[in-house]
Amino acid sequence: MKAREVLGDDPEIVLADERYNLIHTILDTTLVRGAKKWAQSDMLDKVFLHKYLGIPVFLTLAWAMFQFAFDVSAPFMKMIGLFFGLLAEASRGIPNEVLASFLSDGIFGGLGFILTFIPLIFSLFFAIAILEDSGYLARAAFIMDKFMFKLGLHGRSFIPMLLGFGCNVPAMMATRSIESEKDRLITLLINPFISCSARLPVYILIAGAFFGSMASTAIWSMYFLGIVLAILLALLLRKTVLRGEPTPFIMELPLYKTPTFHGSVIHMWDRGVQFLKKAGTYLLVGAIILWFLSSFPWGVAQESVELSYTGQIGHALEPIFRPLGFDWRIVSSLIFGFMAKEIVVESLGIIYAVEGEAAIAGALVVDYTPLIGFALMAFILLYIPCLATVGTMRKESGSWKWTIFQVVLSLVLAYLIGLTITGIGGMLGYT
Amino acid sequence: MIGNPNVGKSVIFNNLIPGARQHVGNWPGKTVEKKEGKCIHKGIELKIVDLPGTYSLTSRAVDELISRNYIIEEKPEVIVDIVDASNIERNLYLTLLLLELEANLVIALNMFDIAENKGYKIDVKKLSEQLSVPIVPTVATTKEGMEELKDEIIKAAIRKGSIKTKITYGEKIEDLINSIVKIIKKDETLAKNYPLRWMAIKLLEKDEEILEKIRNSKYHHELMEVIS
Repeated sequence: MKAREVLGDDPEIVLADERYNLIHTILDTTLVRGAKKWAQSDMLDKVFLHKYLGIPVFLTLAWAMFQFAFDVSAPFMKMIGLFFGLLAEASRGIPNEVLASFLSDGIFGGLGFILTFIPLIFSLFFAIAILEDSGYLARAAFIMDKFMFKLGLHGRSFIPMLLGFGCNVPAMMATRSIESEKDRLITLLINPFISCSARLPVYILIAGAFFGSMASTAIWSMYFLGIVLAILLALLLRKTVLRGEPTPFIMELPLYKTPTFHGSVIHMWDRGVQFLKKAGTYLLVGAIILWFLSSFPWGVAQESVELSYTGQIGHALEPIFRPLGFDWRIVSSLIFGFMAKEIVVESLGIIYAVEGEAAIAGALVVDYTPLIGFALMAFILLYIPCLATVGTMRKESGSWKWTIFQVVLSLVLAYLIGLTITGIGGMLGYT
Repeated sequence: MIGNPNVGKSVIFNNLIPGARQHVGNWPGKTVEKKEGKCIHKGIELKIVDLPGTYSLTSRAVDELISRNYIIEEKPEVIVDIVDASNIERNLYLTLLLLELEANLVIALNMFDIAENKGYKIDVKKLSEQLSVPIVPTVATTKEGMEELKDEIIKAAIRKGSIKTKITYGEKIEDLINSIVKIIKKDETLAKNYPLRWMAIKLLEKDEEILEKIRNSKYHHELMEVIS
């Protein structure tokens, strides 16, 4: 007996038909389809999935989501910052100097700094939960699919990319809704190139120092550069290591529902707690390592950052970064930046022994040219966003291999783009 | 607990198990989220595992594989199949696949209110008789039917396996299934690890994972004769 010959078709298809036949037979006697009364969902879709209105409506909702998240979280972020500031201040009084430094700089200063982002992460998750529970998020993915497919991505990759502008951590966690492993991995790998809100203060400082009235254009160009590189990288990964077509978009559009406060809070809590758990493990270890590098050898490191391990590493790496115009000061501050990007500003302040953004900006203008400043901005955009994203990558990809791949990729890319900027600038006669 | 995506499965899960008692992790070696938890109903402790939402149970997608391997390997006492009453036709497809797997089913006919609003009239009793599966109409968002669902879960666990659902398809395909079952029966290791009829169906569908399982069987050649 040969299955195909007997059935006259692929057995898999025949079986699927048989199942539906049986379902129809059963439903013929158990289901009466009355007149359709319920059309609210279809009416909403007339607007939300409208050919021309769909995208503007989506962008408006996305803007509202960010506005909500930033506004709600800002006071809480300030409170957490103050709280850890007080703890750090208090622990400086501990008689044992090493312990005092460990607690104030390493734990409360370092880890505490990352924890200030928790309100932002939670409120972004809350906003997403509301959009998801209402049934709108599935529509947003649907609207963007055509565009994303051209980039070798999936409609569902759009939300994580968008969230990346707020914070890459929740953005990477949001990739879970992408079913295909390859699609998901690509979305994870390119996400850190989307400029998160933590990079903005660094851009503002550097652009403000070097570009005067052109500062906003310089900042805008960083966002643009990040998006373009993310897109190019997605296309490249599709053609190389993660070969294949994006999975076709088959997605059920659920009925619109009024989200419940309780349900959205549960959603937010489930995801937020995962970040907190990570903060307790990966991030704590990372914070301790960075503290160690910047506080030892004990004694000399306290006299001058230049003599700390971080300063020594900065000096050792300086030759590699010389083509980009970076000296040991910048390299050291970039090492501190592993913790979180804003720390670059803070550590430049420490290295130059000046306080306040204006003073840091002033010091930068003396030592570097606008071209180097621009290369530095690009480098900061592209190299590993922060320890938290590395931890998230490990957790979400489930593999150290891809985590390391991303770290190396971002460093190489940052270097090459930095080099291109100084190279082209040099040819145009800038220094 | 299993069901198609967007049928309100996680809402039912949250109704049955309060958030604080849920354990969220990943399936071993996978990045797919696994939720489980315990609740007590009428003095009996229920341990509930939330399987990934899927439309079918092929070996082509990670979440489908996770669900079906869990059913085959962990042999849960009861499978609660959450069916969206307002999309009953498509949802019953997964139900049939679960019956093929010889799962001890209880159906939660969820979104019953939306189905009614849509003008659907479902004869729950008759449907339950035809499938030989207990069915509880539910509205997850308002927690309707949750107590009844827990009752049915316990009843199903107690009578475990005593009701056998017999679903049959067309004659030609049934003949093929039977002839494959006869061959599998000869191989004792295969026969004791899987539901026979299910395995035969999967072989007809050329399911890669199951094809791999028979590769080393003495009867590999004989099986391939029929299915290729």
